[in-house]
Amino acid sequence: MTQEYIPKGRAKQIARKMDKIDAASKLPPKKQLIKSRSLRKLISNKLSVIGIVIFTVIVLSSIFASVISPYPPGEVNLRESLRAPSWEHPFGTDKLGRDVFSRVLHGGRISILVGLGSALGAAFVGVLFGSYCGYKGGLLDKTVMRISEVFMSFPQMILVLLLVSMVGQSLANLLIIFILTGWGSVYRMTRSQMLSIREEEYVQALRAFGLNDFIICFKHMLPNAIGPIAVNITLSTAMFILQETSLSFLGLGVPVQIATWGNIINAANNMSILQNNWWIWLPVGAVISLFVLSINFIGDGLRDSTDPTQMG
Amino acid sequence: MKRLVSMLMVVALLMCVFPVLGEPTNSNQLSDPRVRKALTYAIDMQAIIDGLMQGKATEAITMAPPGDWRADDLTAYEYDPDKAIALLQEANWDSNRVLDVVYYYGDQMTVDLLTAIQAYWEMVGVKMEMRKLEGDLASQLWVPPSDPLNGPSAVDWDLAYAAVAALSMGDYYDRYQGGYSSNSYNPQDDKLDALIAATNATADVDEQIKAYHDLERYENEIQVNIPLYHQPVFIVQSNRLDRGDAPYGNEQYIYNWDIVNWDIEPDANGKKVLLTNGGPMEFFETPFFNPGFLMSQKVLFDRLIIADENLTPKYPGLASEFSLSEDGLTFEFTLRDGIKWHDGDDITTDDVIGSIELATKAVTNPVLLTTFKAIEGYEDYASGAAESMSGITVDGNKVTIKFANINPNVLLTFTQFAPLPMKYFKDVDPLLLQQADYWQSPVGSGPFKVKEVKMGEYATFERFEDYYGGQAKIEEIRMYPSGESDANLAKNAAAGQVDYAYTKSVEDVIALEQMDHLKVTTVDVRYTRLFYVNKFPQK
Amino acid sequence: MLSYIIRRLLTMIPMLLVICFLIFVGMELMPTDPISYMVGPEQIANMTPEKLEEMREALGLNRPFIVRFFEWLGGIARGDFGYSLTNGQPIKDIIAAKLPATIELSLYALLISTVFGVFLGILSAVKRGSTTDSALTVLGMVGISIPEFFFGLVMILVFAINLKWLPIGGRTLPEYTSYWQQFRHVIMPATILGISMTAGVMRYSRSSMLDALNRDFLKTARAKGLPKWRIYILHGFRVALTPVVVLIGFRLPTLVGGSVVVEQIFQWPGIGDAFVTAVRGNNYPLVMMIALLTVTMMLAASLIVDVLTALIDPRVRLE
Repeated sequence: MTQEYIPKGRAKQIARKMDKIDAASKLPPKKQLIKSRSLRKLISNKLSVIGIVIFTVIVLSSIFASVISPYPPGEVNLRESLRAPSWEHPFGTDKLGRDVFSRVLHGGRISILVGLGSALGAAFVGVLFGSYCGYKGGLLDKTVMRISEVFMSFPQMILVLLLVSMVGQSLANLLIIFILTGWGSVYRMTRSQMLSIREEEYVQALRAFGLNDFIICFKHMLPNAIGPIAVNITLSTAMFILQETSLSFLGLGVPVQIATWGNIINAANNMSILQNNWWIWLPVGAVISLFVLSINFIGDGLRDSTDPTQMG
Repeated sequence: MKRLVSMLMVVALLMCVFPVLGEPTNSNQLSDPRVRKALTYAIDMQAIIDGLMQGKATEAITMAPPGDWRADDLTAYEYDPDKAIALLQEANWDSNRVLDVVYYYGDQMTVDLLTAIQAYWEMVGVKMEMRKLEGDLASQLWVPPSDPLNGPSAVDWDLAYAAVAALSMGDYYDRYQGGYSSNSYNPQDDKLDALIAATNATADVDEQIKAYHDLERYENEIQVNIPLYHQPVFIVQSNRLDRGDAPYGNEQYIYNWDIVNWDIEPDANGKKVLLTNGGPMEFFETPFFNPGFLMSQKVLFDRLIIADENLTPKYPGLASEFSLSEDGLTFEFTLRDGIKWHDGDDITTDDVIGSIELATKAVTNPVLLTTFKAIEGYEDYASGAAESMSGITVDGNKVTIKFANINPNVLLTFTQFAPLPMKYFKDVDPLLLQQADYWQSPVGSGPFKVKEVKMGEYATFERFEDYYGGQAKIEEIRMYPSGESDANLAKNAAAGQVDYAYTKSVEDVIALEQMDHLKVTTVDVRYTRLFYVNKFPQK
Repeated sequence: MLSYIIRRLLTMIPMLLVICFLIFVGMELMPTDPISYMVGPEQIANMTPEKLEEMREALGLNRPFIVRFFEWLGGIARGDFGYSLTNGQPIKDIIAAKLPATIELSLYALLISTVFGVFLGILSAVKRGSTTDSALTVLGMVGISIPEFFFGLVMILVFAINLKWLPIGGRTLPEYTSYWQQFRHVIMPATILGISMTAGVMRYSRSSMLDALNRDFLKTARAKGLPKWRIYILHGFRVALTPVVVLIGFRLPTLVGGSVVVEQIFQWPGIGDAFVTAVRGNNYPLVMMIALLTVTMMLAASLIVDVLTALIDPRVRLE
């Protein structure tokens, strides 16, 4: 996933004005145009609304997993193994007779933690360095830039695989690895945002007042760059969740005994389950896809609302 | 005298009863047989086999699988949680202790099995955590303590989930001896050592069986480790393949499977092509360590003697005649006349002897290695004092091998040992045998020779026209790459890419059995999964 | 321009050195062990510690790591890429055998995502705001939201096993006489890899097409009364393509690394597959070379993209 953005600043306002002029200049099908634009807005909002609803439902059900789920996720009952979905087991049971529904709920906790946690962590590191370095420049900026180049010169998956095999498989390690591989893009984005904001008059004014660098940087400048950062967080959450499942598939993810979405769906990497026991892989596959989709909807909505050059 | 005898009997009885009553032999509670039995009683292995493995395994009560070699009066320690709780109480089990269970398999079945066992043990108040080992397994699993009697343990784990794929019975038990190079779990036990020594002291099969029965009784009595289940080998074949009258045996090793007479329906081009797995991923594996795990090792190389489906040495192979003396110390064979390597050169006695010498220095299967090390003059050869082993003499095509001490597996060794064309190994470091160029496209002695290799994609083999056993009916064999456990077997079989293969994966077999075009044959073999129990005091 | 390229190339060298050193240190920390990988876990119990030690010695694993690093580096400088630990083969042969497979797969994936991405992107730009537009947006996002391996398994189940339309995996078979037969193998993996990238290309081409549609010369063209389709195709397309080319330039090296999972599912004998095998076996000479290769490709691609952008757009200046 690449981050596409166009450096803004004052261009924002101009672009907005241009938009209006532009809209006005398209004369003959005026009515139709307005109609379609509002329709577009509605739909794009609709998508992010749908995204937010799905996202909230899944996150809440994971948070309250222990309340909602009918069984403890690890409860083994060999006599009840591989039962098809029923009232007692809405998603059926797996080979050990564990309730798949309960496992998907509990697995969501860890998968979302990994996805969201790493995205937030990466954003934290990236924004911290990005805004300060972007504002201050100098040796620190150069050094961090070089470090980020080292990390970003690897294809993501290759780097993740290398790091996983270096530090070993565990939940904490995975979080750290995702943060390590993910901070670079946030850093670069924040930095370039800051570079353009730095030239604005209000910043010059604040400087002239002799305000503390940290305050100028984080209190006054950062809020103006927050839009693209938010987009980045959502998109990297989606990416990390997908990567967690990929790593599980390669047997290099979270240790298998911990239920995560990736580990649950990985049980389907087996012909007999794939062909005969759809309830083990289909619901969890659908939940992962839906969750990632909802995040992408939200990210898209966010991008549209923060990026006026993106006409769509 | 009578009194002496009866006193001796009482002592003997006491000696037997003492361990049965049970008591820890050191500060580690796992050294208490009662604890090990309780852990066994607590697992409903039959339910696991039925539920998780769909009945495709046999409950293990000792290392030896059912059959002649297993005593029939052993205690099964069937599922009995109450008894487990009682025994644990009696042994004062520390319920705060969390057992550290390690494993090294990456498959789903292992995790499922351990999760089930974790649940069973939870019910009797024993906690366990599982952890997968990565990296240098030998140093994490099999380092014996410097004091083989009192420890402390040189490894971290309490229980290790592992398997033994035994070629001979000795493969199961020799490792239990005090101070054995991989014995990181059993404190030296003189009685056990004596019983193991007895199994290796004779070349007579009946006596061997008797010795093993005695050994198993003691093993069972103190529950040395926790045997879990015996895994059969599943042989898969497609409807296109006709194995004729060939028997089904232990596919992990070499036996009289008679591939020369297998027949297969011609494909669309009218060619008889057999599709299978076991092709090379990075190299063809040498047949010294795993003699026949992979299809390529089986069809490329022939052995001096051929075993039947029970791995009993029976028929002549590359050797037209062979004999083992009464005392088991002299082995003679005559190399067949006019046999050739795939490159057309003659197979000579020098090749055979050179291969034996190479094997003693390379990474070689322990059964084979133990046999070769028993040859007269091995020490001098190994130390470099002698150019060759004095126990091996040649007279024309006839080779005589004299052994310095009794080895129960001489004939078995020569059913599995594949001689190699020595001219390709002149400048090869025996330890880096596998890294030699030869293994990119080996020249062998078997019924099929390499035709084309696309490393990691496929390998094809064609009939060897000069094969002494006649030309094979199958014209070509094609293998897709896979290791010993083939993750793609079920997928590829479903797509019609497999005419023959064997597997030990229960998950695969469940899928394979549902495919109409395939037939699955189950063969019981010496393959046991168990928990090694680390009975040494902790570090 | 030329001096810029040379400068960039020169800065790449210390960067690559640092990266090499870091990977090498990392490999040292790796718990995986070549011996356990080569001998197999069940059999390793049968080997004496002395034998294991001898093997380590013979493979040169016992020498201090700094010595091995500089030896390795010296080898690279002399054009000797080293030998794989597991099979003793020259690494350049291994890479030469595996790279074409990955490039083949990547090119098809690139083709699929470019053709569909550009076409659908332009379509939704032209029909901006319509149901088609939003449907395409949703579709694109669905495409990137399904885990690759899940998608792959379902495709195998449907197209290879149930319908038997396509081969289950692999790249080629010995009896093939034409490339067309081999082509059937690449369809599924390339589609999956392609779909996961289509959304990005689509978004990019859509927005640059929108951008183009607003440019003066297109407005003039429209005002002159040229047929719509001609405007879209002749003018819009050309303008929209520039940023897309840039995007694609960036994608190719990522694809080499991104195909790891797909190569595993479809038994595709490429670099990704070799990399996973090498990482599992701590086959450090091979891991190093593959990592180095992908990194070099990434750096080279970014240089080429920068140069291209400068050539296309005179406003961009190279610094």
